[in-house]
Amino acid sequence: MAASKWAFAIVEMVHLLGLASLGGTILMVDLRLLGLRLRRRPAAEVARELSPLSWASLTVLVISGILLVIDGPLRYYGNAAFRLKMLLLLAAVTFSFTLHRRAVRFSSERVTAQARVAAVVSLVLWLSVGLAGRAIGFL
Amino acid sequence: MTLLHICQWLYDSALGTSIRESDLMFDLIETAHVLGITLMAGTIAIVDLRLLGLVLKKDEVSDVVAQVLPLTWAGFALMVATGALLFWSEAAKMYFNPAFRLKLILMALAGVNPLIFHTTVYRSVGAWDAAVSTPVKSKAAAVLSLTLWGGIIVSGRAIAYFH
Repeated sequence: MAASKWAFAIVEMVHLLGLASLGGTILMVDLRLLGLRLRRRPAAEVARELSPLSWASLTVLVISGILLVIDGPLRYYGNAAFRLKMLLLLAAVTFSFTLHRRAVRFSSERVTAQARVAAVVSLVLWLSVGLAGRAIGFL
Repeated sequence: MTLLHICQWLYDSALGTSIRESDLMFDLIETAHVLGITLMAGTIAIVDLRLLGLVLKKDEVSDVVAQVLPLTWAGFALMVATGALLFWSEAAKMYFNPAFRLKLILMALAGVNPLIFHTTVYRSVGAWDAAVSTPVKSKAAAVLSLTLWGGIIVSGRAIAYFH
């Protein structure tokens, strides 16, 4: 029992580290879309330069997330915050690979309304995923 | 007046008690603390990875530092404010918590590391600003930073297991 409690703790810590690094990359790309940071480079280049880190972080999060759920699938299935998190995650990932990717690709020197909207939606969606994730522990 | 006395005083104080006994207050502060990790550690990780030549390779080191560090400082302010309140509400228990003590030690080291970095090897950044492969001392500082902050996050999570 004690060993499994620590195994869960370690997987959860890995999940947390993945969250920190993914959050960092999302923040930098969206701040670039908003024209607030790293303006010397096109947003597409910032995204490209950070993409190995984003992909690695996302992979770590997904694998550790699956390991956490395997620990007690029914408990998570019954948890409203977990179900909400999965829906928000789906929305965030879908948005990232569609409209957000488009905004990044076509972003230029001038910060357009589309770029601003894409950045804000992205930040709100991913923040919500994080909040829902934290809420799992409260329910 | 020992350290334990001070911790007990904080714990028993009106502020400490109200945070600890209010589910909502504690949970909100703690949520902000956990999500603040992204703003603080997530950004410093990017600076460290630039020093290791792994991300934003075409950008000059000093430019990445100038652009990212203000975000890290904002994150740090959030972490210190929320962390202080969390500590205040559980001070007497934190005194005995080995994970918390480890976290404090690691934070002290994490503070010394950039201090050394900025006063030594970073002084010559003009010479290696555009380099993908930065000086060994700079890479060492980056690895130390990533390790220390990773350790801080991990020991922070471990606090609950020793509560």
